[in-house]
Amino acid sequence: MIITVVDHYPKIPNPPREPKLRRAIHAYDQGKITKEDLDRVFDEVTKEVIEEQISAGIELITDGQIRWEDGQSYIGKKLDGIEIGGLFRYFDNNTYYRQPIVIGEIRWKEPIILEDWKKAQEWAKDKPVKAVLTGPYTLARLSRDEYYKDLEKLSKAYTKALVEEVKLLEESKVNYLQLNEPSIQYYPEDFDLFLELYKEFRKIFSGKLAIYTYFHSLIPLKNRLKELPIDILGIDFVSKKENFELLKEFPKNLSLGYGIVDARNTKLETPEQIADLIKRALNYISEDNLYINPSCGLEYLPRERAYEKLLNLSLGVKLVRGDKK
Amino acid sequence: MREIKLPILPTTSVGSFPKPDYLLKARNQYAKGLISYSTLYELELKATEEVIKMQEEIGVDILVHGEMERGDMATYFAENLEGFTISGLVRSYGNRYYKKPIVIGKIRRTKPITVDMFKFAQSLTKKPIKGMLTGPYTIADWSFNEYYENKRDLVLELAEIINQEALDLEKAGALFIQIDEPAVPTHPEEINIAKEGFKISTKNLKSFLITHICYGDFRPIWNEVINFPVHQFDLEFTNNADKLYPLIEKYGFPKDKYIAVGVIDVHSHRIESVEEIKARIKEALKYFKPDQIFVDPDCGLKTRTWEEAKAKMENMVKAVNEVREELIKEGYSSEIKIKMEA
Repeated sequence: MIITVVDHYPKIPNPPREPKLRRAIHAYDQGKITKEDLDRVFDEVTKEVIEEQISAGIELITDGQIRWEDGQSYIGKKLDGIEIGGLFRYFDNNTYYRQPIVIGEIRWKEPIILEDWKKAQEWAKDKPVKAVLTGPYTLARLSRDEYYKDLEKLSKAYTKALVEEVKLLEESKVNYLQLNEPSIQYYPEDFDLFLELYKEFRKIFSGKLAIYTYFHSLIPLKNRLKELPIDILGIDFVSKKENFELLKEFPKNLSLGYGIVDARNTKLETPEQIADLIKRALNYISEDNLYINPSCGLEYLPRERAYEKLLNLSLGVKLVRGDKK
Repeated sequence: MREIKLPILPTTSVGSFPKPDYLLKARNQYAKGLISYSTLYELELKATEEVIKMQEEIGVDILVHGEMERGDMATYFAENLEGFTISGLVRSYGNRYYKKPIVIGKIRRTKPITVDMFKFAQSLTKKPIKGMLTGPYTIADWSFNEYYENKRDLVLELAEIINQEALDLEKAGALFIQIDEPAVPTHPEEINIAKEGFKISTKNLKSFLITHICYGDFRPIWNEVINFPVHQFDLEFTNNADKLYPLIEKYGFPKDKYIAVGVIDVHSHRIESVEEIKARIKEALKYFKPDQIFVDPDCGLKTRTWEEAKAKMENMVKAVNEVREELIKEGYSSEIKIKMEA
């Protein structure tokens, strides 16, 4: 069992702590501080959220995606062929993202998360840091395509660009790479295309390759999950309780990212409740094949509650580990 | 039978107006405990007067009070109800954060929430002011729930409360009541909960009922939404024209209902020209009868500057006046009459 998080972490704390990043971005937008000043604050806050995750007991962390405005535009603005457009609702959340508009051939032109990952791994010292990207299928689904006018071509173009990034991550010895693909749950009919995309990543990445889904159900794809050429599949068991049906016949060739702490509601789970849910999974899945994590990224919560949720999550895991000894 | 008379293509707006700088500053100071509530309240009244005056000068037909006292449309109600507390900051996009309500106990309304401000605004003008409420589904969806067993229980509790509030607004003289449900399209699988809540919110009401729904894909829920018990739907035809018109073409629009057609993009700084707005109104005239249409911006104007909001509304009213002339020349009556039960 490894205790992990999904992707983002709340960017600003609440009083008495200072909302440093919010102020810095505001000052930068008004031309009062330089890009270097802002970058320094991004780094400071990233260090803080790395420390917070580690102190909460998280064993496989992320950089908290502190620099990301959202899952799409952070990637889109670093690729050729994409302009960043207007605000759109992000799935069923009261949260919005800027839509990438595809206006030409999509091409990788500069590192996207490589430097972020390297710095985060350095600051995290001996704790492994996952490299996290939004997956090509979800990027394609959340973009406005004015160039390819074809979902298959568009998602393959995104794949080709992201593969360039993954080559660099592989060279830098990233051990865990996660691609977020919530959109595939809404269009299970595209699963053949989806598999094709992931074969490209598998060819070049030798570490643990994960796909995380959230907000929805994977039941329609139940019988096909074993075909995924990956190591870890993250599933949200909070938003859709029906996903618990997947435990029983969960593919033996995959590890499960078991999303059981509600990252979209403040109601706090107790360590005992978490321990019970873990035992439920252990009936079907071996301990070595379980990653225990919140249901999705933590930015839907106030920072302090996100921390408390992680703390209880790791206490829950410790209860199970203690029980076994 | 009561009758409401309005000029053909009545003009209105969705609800919020930008807060003047002095009010933004005062709200900030109040949050830090630097000024008293009564000081803030005085400035909210002053700003409300300015919003009413602006709309009267522009020549809008059905006014809004501008929501100078409200921060967020869901949080405002939560702040004034028992059973809620307000969370720390949660990001909505970019560098924007809001305080999301948390339900921590049984929700109770201890006093009317919106009636005093409605009465104040209505006392300033002879034009009708809309009573503005947020629907139970949206308040529930935009809150954390730590108390109710499930979302339906929470929605139905809030629905009773919104109904009481609406009845109080009617008693205070509101002819138009708008209950906004922007969260409805985000969970098509919960449409029945939303519908059940909306029915409860509107029971025994006799005023002209409006709902504004935005930011979403109506396709899976259109046939349900269109049967919500209201007289008028207010939809964003500027940013969502490509999705809404095909739906109306395919499934039709009830002949006995009114439509408020959003003709102004509220998310852009650009002031649309009169000609552009006229084109949007004429597009709407292809799908609706002239006496079915009201004209307004896509959504609340609170994210625009005061000057932008004013300029956008001015051009909107100019555009409507020009289209009215044309309609009257074509033989339409200059007035529409809305028949209401007594």
